[in-house]
Formats: sequence, C-alpha cells, structure tokens
Amino acid sequence: MKYQVPIGPQHPALKEPISLRMTLEGEVIRDADIRLGYNHRGVEKLAEQKNWTQNIYLTERICGICSHSHSTCYVQGVEKLMEIEAPKRGQYIRYLVSELERVHSHLLWLGVAAHEAGFDSLFMYTWRDREIVMDILETISGNRVHYAINTIGGVRRDLDDLQVKRILGDIKTLWSRTDYYKKISIGEPSFVARLADVGRLSKEDAIALCAVGPTLRASGVPQDIRRDDPYGIYAEVPFDVCTADTCDVLGRAVVRILELFESYKICDFLLQNLPAGDIKVKAPRKAKPNEVVSRYEAPRGENIHYIKSNGSDKPERLKVRAPTLGNYAATVAMLKNGFIADIPLIFAAIDPCICCAERAVTLVDSRSGAERVVRFSDLRAQALGRRPSDSQKRNAVWPF
Amino acid sequence: MTDAELIEQINGKLGSRIRETANPAPLRIFLTVDPGDLVPAVTGLRDDFGYTHLSTISGVDLGEAFEILYHFGRHQGALTVRTQVPRDKPHVPTITPVIPGAILYEREIQEMFGITVDGIPDPRRLNLPDDWPDGQYPLRKDWSFERPEEIIPGGRS
Repeated sequence: MKYQVPIGPQHPALKEPISLRMTLEGEVIRDADIRLGYNHRGVEKLAEQKNWTQNIYLTERICGICSHSHSTCYVQGVEKLMEIEAPKRGQYIRYLVSELERVHSHLLWLGVAAHEAGFDSLFMYTWRDREIVMDILETISGNRVHYAINTIGGVRRDLDDLQVKRILGDIKTLWSRTDYYKKISIGEPSFVARLADVGRLSKEDAIALCAVGPTLRASGVPQDIRRDDPYGIYAEVPFDVCTADTCDVLGRAVVRILELFESYKICDFLLQNLPAGDIKVKAPRKAKPNEVVSRYEAPRGENIHYIKSNGSDKPERLKVRAPTLGNYAATVAMLKNGFIADIPLIFAAIDPCICCAERAVTLVDSRSGAERVVRFSDLRAQALGRRPSDSQKRNAVWPF
Repeated sequence: MTDAELIEQINGKLGSRIRETANPAPLRIFLTVDPGDLVPAVTGLRDDFGYTHLSTISGVDLGEAFEILYHFGRHQGALTVRTQVPRDKPHVPTITPVIPGAILYEREIQEMFGITVDGIPDPRRLNLPDDWPDGQYPLRKDWSFERPEEIIPGGRS
C-alpha cells in the first residue's frame, strides 16, 4: 500500500515554511517532492528600489540565524563595485563576527540534532553554551540576532582591549565545553547508532545535485569557499577544511563539531592579531556600471550574491541564493529509501527548520483518499521509538 | 593555475562555442555563449574542466533581451557562463540533464522572467503561489506591484 504524506508548510515561529509530500510504501519513503514559496517576500524586486545603504539592512533580514552572512556577502560585493576596500581592522572585526555566527549556528544545530535523536541533555548543554556566544555578539554589536555591524567600507563598531580580553576568555570556555561535548557524544553508543546510516547521500549524488556546506563536506567533498575562493582576510588565516566520508547524518554532525574547533581557532587568531587603525572608509553614494559575483561560506554552505550596478545609487539587479535552496535537491535524494521516522533527523541535518513540520502532518491513504492528521509530537515519538536494530548500526563508531 | 592559463585552455578546448571571455577580477571568469551552444559548452566545462558545481542561475532584464548567467564553482574561483535571449522569443535549452542540480534554478528563471526553458523535466512553479496569474513575471523591469486598495469593514471612521 502506498501513502502520501504532506509535511508542512506553515509554522508561525520559524523562518522557512516548506511543504514536502512523501510517497510511502509501508514505512519506507519512495519519493519526495518539495514545494516552496510559502514565505516568498520578493526581496530581489524590493532591492532594486532601495539604495546601496538601505540594502544592507534588507539583506541582513533575509535570514534570522545567518543574518551576518547575507549582509557580508552583499557588502563585500558592493565594496568591489565601488572600488573601495575596508581597512584591515574593520575586516578583522567583520569576519570575527562571521566566525562567531558560525559557532552559534553550529551549536544551535548540534542541540537540535541531539534533541531529534532523543539526547536531550546534550541539547540542554549546547543551548546553554550558545548563550555565551550570543553574549559575545551582544558585546561586539549590541544585538543578539541582527548584528548590524556591517557598513559599506567597513564595520560600524570598534572593539576595545577590555572587550578583546573578555571575548578571548569566553572563547576558551567554549573550546573546553565543545571538547567535552565531543567526548560525551562519542561515548554515547545509542546516539551514534541513531545517527549512523541515516539520510545517505553518496559523494556522486552530492556533487551532481550541487549540495553545499557541511552536507557536501560530510559526503567527502572538501569544498569550502573560505579556502577555494578566499574573500576578506581568509587568505591569511590558518584553518583546515573539515570533511567526513560516512555520507550520513553522523558525518554531518562530525563535520559541524570539527568546524566549531576551526572557528575557535580563527576567532583566537583574529583577536590575537587585531591590527590597529580605522574600522571603515567613507563610501561613495553611487557605483559605476559593473557586475560582481560575491561568494561567502555561511554556516550552512555557499552563499552567492550576483550584484549588477548601473551607475545610480540603486542596484540594477541583486540575485541572492541562500545555501538551504542549494541543498533542497540533495534532501530529496537523502529522503528516498529512508524511513518515515527518520524524516526529522534528515531534515534537521541540512539545517533548515524542521519545525515547519511541527504544526501538523497529514497522512493520505492513496487508495481511499482518507486523511489522518498526526501531530509532530507523535511523529517525534515514533522517531525516538525507532531502535537501532540491525547489527551494522549497533556497532557504529564515531568516525573522528 | 592562473586565470589566464585557464582561459587559454578553455579557449583551446571549447573555442568554437565561446564568443567572448573576460577576467574582470582575480578568480572571476566570464564566458559568453550563444543559447544554441549552451549545452555543449556546459558539458565541456563539466567533463574537461571539472565545473560540476552550479551555484545558481541569475537572470537580468536588459530591456530588448534577457541575460541569463550560470554561476559555476570549482576548487579555485568562480566561472560564469552568460547567454542572451531576445525578449520577444525568450527560449533557452535546459542544462538539467548535464547538471542535475540546476532544476530548481531553471524553474525560478521560468516563473520570474517568463523565459521558457526548453526540455525542462519539471516545469512547475517554484516560489510563486498557485493562484498567481499567467503572464505576470515579477522580476521583469516593466512589472511593478500595486497594492490593492485596502477595504476596511464598516469603512474608515
């Protein structure tokens, strides 16, 4: 018997409502179809009517969690169009915020993944320590979510020595806490077994479907825009690209945990070597007719903006592609031949918002057409109830 | 490999398909092709140069024509393939059989600019709602949004 299960689309609290229609055979997903557009805001059209400065604040509001990614990607493109360069100190502060944002996003993700796998103590721990990085961001910018630190030609706020000292101390705390999470997650066989072999995406599929970010790196492809197409200060900062070759949710968790350490390393380097000088230069009001492709490694993967100027104070065209859209085609491949109880985990693993599914799930019987509505909590209970049964999973090891 | 060497190699392999190359900034290469040469050029870039990662497809309304830009990424830098189609007959071939990840971006180009992607495996809309009127393409420059007049039940007081 085949079922169709629509999941989503709406959840009032989250940023990306999305509807997925699963075709099921028993418990196994045979096909998945994605429908988008429930939250289409027309940002690209709107950007053509706003001037260069106003668009910083518009792009910052594309996403709540990686707000800095979009504004930085936009600002570094516009700086190229205007032929100015932010002073070194301004760039160091800008990309320090980038890495702190990555830390907060990855800690948030680790908590969500632990929660979906039923490991709620890890969820509590990581979200407690996410507060530390949110406090650092508040120290730097005055805001916890939309930092508004970027401006064309640099950043808007400077750091003093006391702040630098305090942030360095906080990063040390985060470093040791993350080390501890790495240890407890390796030492918890039921957690490892729950993530292993779920949501498989082979290396070939990941490349063909143009997946990005940790999803791609967990399939063994070492692609990182910070290294491949160095922007800002990344050419002079030492860091490693983290990959895993398990091609499953476990690999995606490993990549994100390893990236946390790399981000701490980068933050530490940036703060220790913070150059003296100005934080911004004055930007012209208009940009000559030109075009630029700006790429940025956001916490979820490659973020690309194509910006075209026409000589006026407004962009001719601003094209935005956020990393989650790049991962949707790969998500369909991951869901195929998986189990219905793994949907929350697989969704959470690409780091969109699974909670779109929280409102209601409708099960449609393809023969009778009868529908039944399942609450997300019941679906989650099913996910938690699914015990790792086959021998391969029981012996799964953490591939650090 | 420097950008100049890469451009030279690409010209050597695919020279007959490419009308123009440009290298406006380090690690940024732009190739111009005719719509008819798009699929062979993309296939050649994928097979001979390893451009398997399509970042996105951008459309630009130039007035008389539409410009379509395919942004590719590789281990080093970004390469953009651009092509132009006339406004009165906007047709471009699909590259989804070559790059399977292109499907979402081709659907986006279709609904936002009204450019027909010939041979697209899934022609449904991507972002616009189901009840969106036909023939309305929001990212064209001549399209503008007019807010419907607000009707307050009972009238303004």
